[in-house]
Amino acid sequence: MTEQTASREWVGFSLRRVWIIAVNTLTESMRQKVYNILLLFALVVIASASFFSQFSFGEEAEQVASVQLKFIKDFGLGALSVFGMLIAIVGTAQLIPNEVENRTIYTILAKPVRRFEFLLGKYSGSVLLIFVSLVMMSMMFGAEMAFKQQKLVGEVLQEEQDAAARGGLVDHQEIQRNITSIRADALDPNLVKGVILIFVKLALLAAITLLASTFSTSMVFNVTVAFMVFFTGHLVGTAKELWEHSAFARYCLALIPDLGMFNVADDIILGNAIPWLHVAKVALYGFVYLATVVAASHFIFSDREI
Amino acid sequence: MRAKLLALLVVALPSWLMLPLVGSIDAESVKLKYGGARVTRQMRDAIGQGMAIALLAGFRGVVADFLWIQSHGYWEKKQWLQQYRDMEVVATLQPQSILFWDEGAWHMAWNIGYAVSVDTNNVTAAQGIKRERAWHERAQEFLARGIENIPNRYELYFKMGWLYLHKLAPDCGDDLACKKTRYCEATEYLRKAASFPDAPSFVGRTYARALEECGDIGAAYQQWISMWKHGPPMSEPSSILEREIRRLEDQFDLPDNVRVFPKHPTKPPASP
Repeated sequence: MTEQTASREWVGFSLRRVWIIAVNTLTESMRQKVYNILLLFALVVIASASFFSQFSFGEEAEQVASVQLKFIKDFGLGALSVFGMLIAIVGTAQLIPNEVENRTIYTILAKPVRRFEFLLGKYSGSVLLIFVSLVMMSMMFGAEMAFKQQKLVGEVLQEEQDAAARGGLVDHQEIQRNITSIRADALDPNLVKGVILIFVKLALLAAITLLASTFSTSMVFNVTVAFMVFFTGHLVGTAKELWEHSAFARYCLALIPDLGMFNVADDIILGNAIPWLHVAKVALYGFVYLATVVAASHFIFSDREI
Repeated sequence: MRAKLLALLVVALPSWLMLPLVGSIDAESVKLKYGGARVTRQMRDAIGQGMAIALLAGFRGVVADFLWIQSHGYWEKKQWLQQYRDMEVVATLQPQSILFWDEGAWHMAWNIGYAVSVDTNNVTAAQGIKRERAWHERAQEFLARGIENIPNRYELYFKMGWLYLHKLAPDCGDDLACKKTRYCEATEYLRKAASFPDAPSFVGRTYARALEECGDIGAAYQQWISMWKHGPPMSEPSSILEREIRRLEDQFDLPDNVRVFPKHPTKPPASP
């Protein structure tokens, strides 16, 4: 038994070490220019969703408000998803290749740190990065919605005042109904469900990128693989429909994560009731899948020569 | 190699074990009508490569919004068929969106309908009228599909009733029987719309008017009375109710003792 093997057997799994590596990874990632530029861009795009909403062509005040809010929500949540995906993929793809290239991995693994702890720490750091980014983008999105809501309510009240000034008939109930509808539409708590599932999807995408980076040293390769999985994952639903009668195809397709499942935000925006049970089931699917991908990454990484 | 095989097995086994969970999620999605139509070759051709990629990346809502804006661009350029094609694609992408069905039908019946009727390319006035009616029918068919997709909301039933009242019935011209049939068809949609608890008061008022157009003045009177009695507390539109009830009571020449608003009141009418 070599000294190295003996020490590896002696060191037990420690969540504290995982946490330290995770926090370190998060700090390192947040200092990177790529991340900051992506986040800044995301925030600007979300903030500009209001301009996008000007393209609404309804006649009635309620209809115009509904269109504008739909456009902002679609655009905001779309930006959350796109930039979240970019941050998840770019942020994770470089984690291990960078450590190998900078040779810092040797220093870390020479210490009593298990490879699994290192891998889990790196992945947790990436998930924390996604979480922080999503929180910041969601706050911007929330602020945007609150601002728009105020503006639309103000417009409705102004219309009421103008109608009264013209001596026209003012339907107070209708106006109150419009205001309530705008508020309910803008501050819809169901949107949280959409953001939660975007987070799980991004965490899963990060796990897949991590898996690629355990057997490849090229960041470009990792990013490409992650993008391919991202697109393939969204086509699983279509493929399932095409081959619904083939059991073999079903088993093959099960190997690819069905990312379309996580896109409930569109339906929430349209006012579809998405039960929490459905959200929980999809989240469970995501967590089980990402756990297996992280476990697979561990098997490959533990066997890898560094 | 052994580690890679082990890794594949680690991913494969739970994925296969999760098949019942995935099946249950898929079944729920179909039942609750999540998503909308899948991407097909025809759809890809209609929306273009860039949009198709965005669609495949899961940005259905954003793609639908962009196509909607694009369709408005076609309207401004008087390219009505392209506009119609875009509206069809948008409604297919997000069939659960009331907005797209509602505004799409409005564009067809009111905007495009009028624009084609006064189009300088029309050889005769009759051709303009024919084209206008064709667009009204397209709007009707479009809204019918919308109702099929969203049967549990009042909005599209109301819009369909409104379409029958203001476009399809007048399209009958001097054919009174056709006109009456269409007004009566409007009442069916408006009755359904008014039966939703969240339907605003104007839906009930439109229903009453449609009943009158359909020739069922008694039912119209009952509808106004019902709104007066069961409607929300007194407000400005209550004056509309009062005006309409008075008008019909005068028309029926009802005696004071059965009127809601007697001609010579001894006491003020009971407030709703």
